[in-house]
Amino acid sequence: MIEIKNVSKWFGDFQVLADVDEVVQRGQKIVICGPSGSGKSTLLRCINGLEPYQKGEIVVDGVSLSDPKTNLYKLREKLGMVFQRFELYPHMTVMRNITLAPIKVRKKSRQAAEKKAMELLERVGIPDKAGAFPANLSGGQQQRVAIARALAMEPACMMFDEPTSALDPEMIQEVLEVMIGLAKEGMTMLVVTHEMGFAREVADEIIFMDEGRIVERGRGDDFFKYPKSQRTKDFLGQILK
Amino acid sequence: MLDAILQNLPYLLGGFLTNLQLAAFALAGGLFLGTLVGLGRISKRPWVYYPVTLYVNFLRNIPLILVIFWFYFVMPILVGRTMDPFVSAAVSFIVFEATYFGEILRAGFQSISKDLVSAAYSTGLTYRQTATHILVPIAFRRMLPSMITQSIITFQDTSLAYVIGLQEMVRRTTIVDSIEVRSVQLYSFVAILFFIICFIGSRISMHYEEKSRKAKVL
Amino acid sequence: MLAYKFDWGVLWRQPYGEWLLQGLWLTIQLGALAWIIALSLGVLFGTMRSVRFWPLRIIGSLYVEVFRNIPFLVQLFFWFYAGPMLFGKTLQFKINAISGLNYWVAIFALGLYTASRVAEHVRAGFASIGHGQYDAVLSTGMTPLQMYWYVMIPHALRLIIPPLTTEFLTIFKNSAVAMTIGVAETTFMSYKIDEQTFHGLEATTGAMAIYLVLGMTVVKLMDFIEARFRIPGLMSR
Repeated sequence: MIEIKNVSKWFGDFQVLADVDEVVQRGQKIVICGPSGSGKSTLLRCINGLEPYQKGEIVVDGVSLSDPKTNLYKLREKLGMVFQRFELYPHMTVMRNITLAPIKVRKKSRQAAEKKAMELLERVGIPDKAGAFPANLSGGQQQRVAIARALAMEPACMMFDEPTSALDPEMIQEVLEVMIGLAKEGMTMLVVTHEMGFAREVADEIIFMDEGRIVERGRGDDFFKYPKSQRTKDFLGQILK
Repeated sequence: MLDAILQNLPYLLGGFLTNLQLAAFALAGGLFLGTLVGLGRISKRPWVYYPVTLYVNFLRNIPLILVIFWFYFVMPILVGRTMDPFVSAAVSFIVFEATYFGEILRAGFQSISKDLVSAAYSTGLTYRQTATHILVPIAFRRMLPSMITQSIITFQDTSLAYVIGLQEMVRRTTIVDSIEVRSVQLYSFVAILFFIICFIGSRISMHYEEKSRKAKVL
Repeated sequence: MLAYKFDWGVLWRQPYGEWLLQGLWLTIQLGALAWIIALSLGVLFGTMRSVRFWPLRIIGSLYVEVFRNIPFLVQLFFWFYAGPMLFGKTLQFKINAISGLNYWVAIFALGLYTASRVAEHVRAGFASIGHGQYDAVLSTGMTPLQMYWYVMIPHALRLIIPPLTTEFLTIFKNSAVAMTIGVAETTFMSYKIDEQTFHGLEATTGAMAIYLVLGMTVVKLMDFIEARFRIPGLMSR
């Protein structure tokens, strides 16, 4: 569904991504890990066109991002994204946060959009918070709203950029549970995270990135028990303490 | 002692009303144009950024009184007939104040985290939708105290329309003064009127500043 | 469009070109002299607003609120038209007879008005210095007056050079308002050229160019002063 072919990206002189090659099939769950600055977040942002790349090609559902005629907005509808700091619109209620894009982009009616929003809020476990403002919610609740907001556009693939890194420990589990639920329902997922427990349970493939390159790939337990490269070993040693 | 004021009160207050009307137009137009200017100042497209930046930096170096004169001379040429001083003044104010509101809103836009904008785009919203529903509402809320302060300044500036003969309060005060020669009372009166409005305005601005400082919600 | 013949030559033809330059000279005088008043009074009232002794704080606040909330044009007219009358009937006529009165009143009014804005910047400057230095200086035995004069004011002034630059620019812009009482500065001259030649558009455009150049010069000057008096180790730009 997503093909990343030999992609490289520079910020000025600094190379952020180097010859990244990867294929994401429908229904696959891929976890990306690595030290900070390794390009993981940048890669996600290249896939939905938030960031440009200089070399290579990214193709989403047959549509190439390198093609200048590509409608980026239509492409983004297929890819839902969840951010580390939730990034809910602070001046809107939870309900409006979720229904804004469906109404403005998909041209849904308000009733249809709100009905769907309530279903999504049920699914993430906080239907009672529909009228609240983000500032009144805990971090875990905000992130679950953010997931609902992304799901409202019925994407084919969900991308998560360190979704639990900004959360207090007690709230990490409630968000991971929602993500696991999504995985079990068959959603295609690309998750940048340090939560290796989640990776073990859900991931079809785990990618380790360092300095803009994919250093190693593995499936499930193999990856953790038998890391091939030294850098992978060092990194896993650090985070699995 | 206060006869000069009391006898001419309707005339003088009528002038004050003109200041208020002019300020209303200046604010409405200035806010609208200022929003466009603010967005232009954070634009990544050079053909938008450079002209807007030039416009802002140019007008902020020139006295408002000169801008008022300039439009007073320009508009008859463009429109083909002599202009009502109110219209000429309103246009000058809108063009001038838009630069100040624009810079205030620019600070507001720049305070919005890049990821919030990315989050909006990632749901498929276009630039225009993101600007309308996210950027502008948040920036206005965050910069409300500064906008109120700038509105007070705009209101004070309307007194400068005096120079093109607009029948606003200062001009009417000088007219009455030339007859009654009660300068101290008359000029104190107009000063006090402006003072009251501007002082109330500055208190309102401080109230919102306190409120947002405590809440830190936005 | 009205048929309008542009006549840009009006800008350097005698005597009009010379008028504009004379106007510029007066603009510079007004701004510079008023700035001296504005700085002195501004530091005074800004300091008054920051001391512990509350009666001084109230006087300072009163000054700032009054002069900030009344438009400059109104203040100018008050001092020029009503001001002489405050001196009683006999002195009033003597004062009004002074030649060049409008020049001096304009400087006075501009200085008073700008001082209220400078005072606010000075107050902000003190606030950002913080209590530590205040206590440290007092503990060496200096009186509050000495502390302010020798330590706090010089320190605060260096900190607030950027906003002071803005005020310095603004004072030159506000000097244009003096044209309303007949001071023959730049804007007045451009209007006078229009009266004579009906080419006000060119004249005011020329005046705009003059203010632009003046503004750029002021900024360069203040940059130089900032560099010269920079406090090492503090974040400047």
